[in-house]
Amino acid sequence: MPEGTLCNRQPIQTEESLKTLLGDTSGEQYYKQMKELDVDQNLLWSTIQKTCKSRIRTWLEICAHCGMCAESCLFYLINDRDPKQVPAYKIQSTLGEIIKRKGKVDNEFMHMAMKTAWAKCTCCNRCGLYCPNGIDMGVMMGYLRGLLYGQGFVPWELKIGAGMHRVYQAQMDVTNEDFVETCEWMAEEYEEDYVGLHFPVDKEGADILYTINAREVKHYPEDLAEAAVLFHIAGEDWTITSKGWELTSLAMFAGDWEACKIQVVSVYDAMERLKPKRMIGTECGHAHRATVVEGPYWAGREDGLPPVKCMHYVEWVAEALRTGKLQIDPDKRIKEYVTIQDSCNYIRNHGLKKITREIMTYMVEPGYFIDMNPNEEHNYCCGGGGGFNGIGLYRKERNQALITKRDQILKTGAKLVIAPCHNCWDAIRDLEEEYKIGIRWSFLKPLLIKMVKVPEHMQPKE
Amino acid sequence: MFKNILLATSATNACDHAARVAFELAGLFKSHISILHVLGVPSRGFSQMIVDVRTGETVPLNDDYKAWVLEEVKNYYENQIKAHNDTETNVAVGFPHREILRYARENNPDLIVLGGSTDDPDLSGYKKNIAGTTLQRITKSAQCPVLIVNRPAASFWGGISNIVFGTDFSKASDVSFQYAKKIVTSINDGELHIFHSFDISSAHTGLSLSQDEIEDQLREARSKIRKRYISQLKGFNKYSIDVWEGLPYVEIVKYAREKQADLIIMSHQAREVIPDKARLGSNMEQVIMRANCPVISINRHTSALFE
Repeated sequence: MPEGTLCNRQPIQTEESLKTLLGDTSGEQYYKQMKELDVDQNLLWSTIQKTCKSRIRTWLEICAHCGMCAESCLFYLINDRDPKQVPAYKIQSTLGEIIKRKGKVDNEFMHMAMKTAWAKCTCCNRCGLYCPNGIDMGVMMGYLRGLLYGQGFVPWELKIGAGMHRVYQAQMDVTNEDFVETCEWMAEEYEEDYVGLHFPVDKEGADILYTINAREVKHYPEDLAEAAVLFHIAGEDWTITSKGWELTSLAMFAGDWEACKIQVVSVYDAMERLKPKRMIGTECGHAHRATVVEGPYWAGREDGLPPVKCMHYVEWVAEALRTGKLQIDPDKRIKEYVTIQDSCNYIRNHGLKKITREIMTYMVEPGYFIDMNPNEEHNYCCGGGGGFNGIGLYRKERNQALITKRDQILKTGAKLVIAPCHNCWDAIRDLEEEYKIGIRWSFLKPLLIKMVKVPEHMQPKE
Repeated sequence: MFKNILLATSATNACDHAARVAFELAGLFKSHISILHVLGVPSRGFSQMIVDVRTGETVPLNDDYKAWVLEEVKNYYENQIKAHNDTETNVAVGFPHREILRYARENNPDLIVLGGSTDDPDLSGYKKNIAGTTLQRITKSAQCPVLIVNRPAASFWGGISNIVFGTDFSKASDVSFQYAKKIVTSINDGELHIFHSFDISSAHTGLSLSQDEIEDQLREARSKIRKRYISQLKGFNKYSIDVWEGLPYVEIVKYAREKQADLIIMSHQAREVIPDKARLGSNMEQVIMRANCPVISINRHTSALFE
């Protein structure tokens, strides 16, 4: 069969087609149609010729098959050291083969490649750290995802996710009006506790432009309120934007390069329109990678940088604590064993390993912070990164992948896990649901709110 | 008095008593009643999976499922809906406290009615995602009074007449008083019982007081009640005043029992939601848990309505 009505090579372009695809519960029809989907071999080969540049070709060529990457991969470790889970094998047997065969691969091959790209790799880039030749299989897997997406072989939820970005410029069906309205609602709800609290909208030339994850608007707007409260307490000159506020990119997980660009350009437009001194994003790892690290290349920016200086939320928190803009009441510091789950995307992709540890020195009573082992840039993925958390088809594999993190947490003895990343936060929540190890998990914001000193002018009168 | 009542329900027997109270009130005051059931908590990151709060199962969300649950809720309350025409039923997806508050913000009910929490640990979909209970978060943030029926024993069958107003003399309590007055004067044979408990717990005072000192405090509280509240009753004379010493939440529960109260009205002042000490924090939460009649919580947001 050529292309199906639901599963095909066309990206989602309209709200209507998005709803139709959403209506196909769990992607039942979608995956059925995928079984029949032809591979457009000419398109595949021509795409490779146009987009597979020297870096990836060199990497594929110079891989010595030494196996040094094997032990670095959480999938290899939790799957009884299955040789098919060695990162080098995973990329050579998929992307390597497609190139070797000049795109002449069939439907069955594409199914195998799809499972490899989305259920055997979270693009955590840990293997790249251990390769003696510096080959980053995570980056190549990201490229493979793009090829697969272009052929229609992409998990249902990610086709939807990329479609959301195309239709709403957000990962969920949240409109610009919804966003601003929700911020107003939160100001109403919190302004009695924090006098003067409000969300400046579209303020030009502010010090900080704050960007977010659409899920905060949709399901837990408390997060928006908490961010506003902390900015106010810190006395920051900040603003939100009524357009281009979504920091995340499910399109990146999906390999929908065009949607990646659409999304990130919407944020850069906001930066250019409002001219803030810097942009600070919410506690989300992949969003930072998408908008700050990879985005400039998607958007074709020659300097390889976003239009203004961009910081991850943890960088702002560390700075605010360091400079005394946020002051912690020493009596309210965390006095129980606590550990931190850093997002791969701000650790390995952006070198922020010291930042969260600095934050811990302020928030946690000395002696109570227990780092996981390994940690910092050697830390493992939560087990749900790269879109893995949301894919129903690979739920079993995802649950299995949580084991590494579960055991790392158990070894620390901590009952509280701080995760300044939506994806890690989700994975740790699911981990508790699945394995019931008796832990709690939190973003930084709700913990900070409980321990920072509120300046007098913000305290309620009665 | 009540024109638009929002009954937020899990559509399980944990909320049966609250539903009974809501429909009683709706009958008494000829109110419109909106039943809202938050059917599922989003799960699995950005996926379309939700945890159904009634079954605890993870299910894929779609319009059919929503329509099916809506029918289930309508069936669950079939008899009440038949008996009270002016009823609408809605379902929502999300974290219960947030969706209830969202619905309330859009529809401006003048009372939110909540049942007890679903304490079955297997039905913990309500609780596990964001710390803090639904009840705590709604009583803290609602823009209108919230009526809670936590125990089966707290639901009434035969209308309202005895209203207990508990005060700590705060500004928020003044608002609760206005509200209590409004209710008691809008019903037949209403009686208002104004109550204050002088807190003698050592944790609070830091020292133990002599009985003379305590009694001085009680006298002072009585005169405060006269000055602050009785002066405003203007001709309404079916009231009583009592001031006891003890642990406030225990005393008010005992007092309400003695007065055969049909309703307790108090102001809620807690500023933060304490996840691990859920429902054990304030006097209000203790009263809600222990009372044998419905409790109306008035928070600071509500205050604006009556000023």
